[in-house]
Amino acid sequence: MIQKNSRSWLKIIAAAVVAAAAATPTLAQETIKVGLLFTYSGPSGISGQLSDNAVKLFQQKHGTTAGGKKIEFIKRDTTGPNPEVAKRLAQELIVREKVQILIGPDFTPNVLAVAPMVTEAKVPAFIAGAATGGIVEKSPYYVRTFYSVPQIVRPMAQWAWQNGVKRPYVLVADFGPGHDTEATFTKTFVDLGGQISGNSRVSLRNPEFSSYMQRIKDAKPDAVFVFLPISELGPQFLKAYSDSGLKSSGIKLLATGDVSDESVVDAAGDAAVGLITVGTYSHVHDSSLNRRFVAEYTQSFGKTPRHTAATVAVWDSLKLIYDGVAAQGSAKFDPDKFMAFVKGRSFESLRGPVTIDKATGDITQNVYMRRVERQDGLLQNVEFNTVTDVPAK
Amino acid sequence: MTALLTIVFNGMAYGVLLFIIAVGLSVTMGMMRFVNLAQVSLSMLGGYVMVVAVASLGWPFLASLPLAFVCVGAFSVVLERLVLRHFYGSDDLTQVLLTLGLVFMSISSAAYIWGPSFRPVQVPDWLTGQVSVLGLMLERYRLFLVVAGGLIAAALVIGLERTRFGAMVRACVDSRRAASGCGINTQLVFALTFALGGGLAGLGGALSANLLSLDPNFPLRYLVYVLIVVSVGGMGNITGSLAAALLIGVADVVGKYYVPAAGGVFIYVLTVALVMWRPQGLLGRKAA
Repeated sequence: MIQKNSRSWLKIIAAAVVAAAAATPTLAQETIKVGLLFTYSGPSGISGQLSDNAVKLFQQKHGTTAGGKKIEFIKRDTTGPNPEVAKRLAQELIVREKVQILIGPDFTPNVLAVAPMVTEAKVPAFIAGAATGGIVEKSPYYVRTFYSVPQIVRPMAQWAWQNGVKRPYVLVADFGPGHDTEATFTKTFVDLGGQISGNSRVSLRNPEFSSYMQRIKDAKPDAVFVFLPISELGPQFLKAYSDSGLKSSGIKLLATGDVSDESVVDAAGDAAVGLITVGTYSHVHDSSLNRRFVAEYTQSFGKTPRHTAATVAVWDSLKLIYDGVAAQGSAKFDPDKFMAFVKGRSFESLRGPVTIDKATGDITQNVYMRRVERQDGLLQNVEFNTVTDVPAK
Repeated sequence: MTALLTIVFNGMAYGVLLFIIAVGLSVTMGMMRFVNLAQVSLSMLGGYVMVVAVASLGWPFLASLPLAFVCVGAFSVVLERLVLRHFYGSDDLTQVLLTLGLVFMSISSAAYIWGPSFRPVQVPDWLTGQVSVLGLMLERYRLFLVVAGGLIAAALVIGLERTRFGAMVRACVDSRRAASGCGINTQLVFALTFALGGGLAGLGGALSANLLSLDPNFPLRYLVYVLIVVSVGGMGNITGSLAAALLIGVADVVGKYYVPAAGGVFIYVLTVALVMWRPQGLLGRKAA
C-alpha cells in the first residue's frame, strides 16, 4: 500500500518535472525592455507626464506582453533640449539597463546627439517629439511617429495662397525649428507667386509681444503666419494679438498646431477662437478610433492635462512596438527584423491613416487645416480641410 | 508719430508690469536686507489665488486682487516665522541658496496642487480690447496696469517714508538692538514688513498673470527680470524700482520695435550699463 502510494507519488513528481520542463520556455520568456526618454521636469515636464499616461493606458488596453514576450518600460528624464544629458541617459539605458527599443528622445538636439549611439547598439528608436525635417536619416534605427516642420508648414502656405492671402507677415520663435518654419513657409509661398510683407523672429524668453504687434500693423499684411513652440508664448501671443486690435481688424491669423496645442490653448481663452492652424492631430478628429481613445483617456486621467499630438505619437510608437515584437514570435528579439517590420508599415492612427516610409523611416500622414472653436467649454481644433498622405520631407 | 507714442506707452506699461512683480522683493530686500528669491513664488501663489477665486469661487476680478494680497501676505508670515527668520543673520549666499530651494519646492508643489498646465486667466470684458485716449488706441489692460502700478508706488512711498510704521521699519533695519531698546517690537515689525512684501508679490502675480501666463514654472521665468529691476533700481528704493522698471520696459519695447534683430538683448545691455554706472542702484543710497 505504502509502496504503491510512493510509486504514484513518484509518477506525479515525474509528470510535474516533465511539465515544468515543457513550460520552461514560457517561464524564462524574454523580456523586451523599452527605454522612455522624455522630459519629465522643467518647463516641458508635462510632456513626460502625458507620455506616461499613454503608456499606462496602452498597457491597460493591450496588456503587458506582446507575442508572449513581456514588455517592460524604463524611463529617464532628458530635462528638455539638453543633448549632453540625453546622450548620457541613452547610454545608461542601452549599456546598463540593456534596453532593446527606445521611445525618444524628444527635442531635435537630443535626437541628433543620440543618433550615433542607437546606430552602434542597433536599438530601434521612435522619434515622438522632435519635428525638424530630415533628422530621421541620422540613423537607420530611427523611426518618426510625430510629424516634421516641412510636412505641416508647406500645406499651410499652399492653403493660404489658395484662399486669397497675397502678402502675409511671418512671425517665428528665434531658434532652429523657427528658422526652418520661416524658410519653408517663405519659399513655398514665394514660389507660388506670393509676397511676404515682413517677418519677425522673437526671442524664446519673455518676448513682450507689443512691439511685434506694432510692426505687424505697420507692414499692413492681409494675414499673419505664426510659429511658436508649445509654451506660454502661444497664449501670450494670442492675447497680445487680440488686445492690440489686430484680431478684430480682420487680418487672418494662421499658425502651426503648436500655438493651438491642446495642452496650452485653453490658457488663451477667447483670444484663440477663430485661429486657423495646421496640424496632424486634434481631440475632435472624426473617427471612431479617436472618439473611443479620447473617452478612455479622459476617464483614466481626467480632463486636464489634455493629451496632445506628441501623446498620440507615443501611442503609435507603442502600437508599432507591440506589433513588431509579436511578429517575431518566440524567436529572440532581432532589431533589424524589427526595423524591417516597422518601415513601410501603414496603419490607422488616432489622427487618421499613417505610413512609415520604407526608405527613411519618416512618417507620411494626413495634414489638417483646423479652426479653433469652443466646444463643451474646451477650445478644440475643428478640422475643415484635409491634405492626404503628405510626406515628411 | 502715433506708432512711436503707442510703443512708448506699451513700454511703460511693460515697465509697470515689471515693477509690480518686483516691488515686493524690493521691500523685503531693501527694508530687511534679506535676499528672498522666493518672492517670485509668492507672486505665482497670488496668481493662483486670483484664478481660483475668479474661476472656481466666482469672485469678481477686482475683488480677487486684495484677496491675493491678504492670502499671500498671511502665507509669507507663516513662511517667515517657520523658516526664514532663522536665516536673518546668514550671509547672502546662504539666503540665496535657501530661497532658491524654496522656489524649486514651490514649482513642484504648484504642479502637484494645480496641475502642470497653464491656467486660463479671464479678466472682465471692460479690461480687454482697446480704448481711444487722446487719439491713441491703447490697450485697456495696460492702462489698468499703469494706474494700478502708480497707486501701489504712491501708497508705498507715503506708507514707508512718511509714516511712523515706516520709520520703525527703518529703525529696526539700521540697528535692531537700539530699536528694541527704544521699545519697538522688532519681531512684529519684521513679520509685518515681510507680510507687506509677500502681499505685494501676491498682488503683483494676480495683476500680471493675464499678460505673463500662469503655470508652475512662473517663478523661474520671471526671476531674472525681478532681480534686474531691484538691482538697477536700488534696494528698498520704491521710486528707484519704478524708475528702473520704466526705463527697462521702454528700452526693451522700443528697442525691439526699431532694431528687432537685436531682440531681447537690449534689456541685458542696459542692465549691465546701469549697474556699472551706478552700482548702488539708479536712485539707491550708498550701500550700508
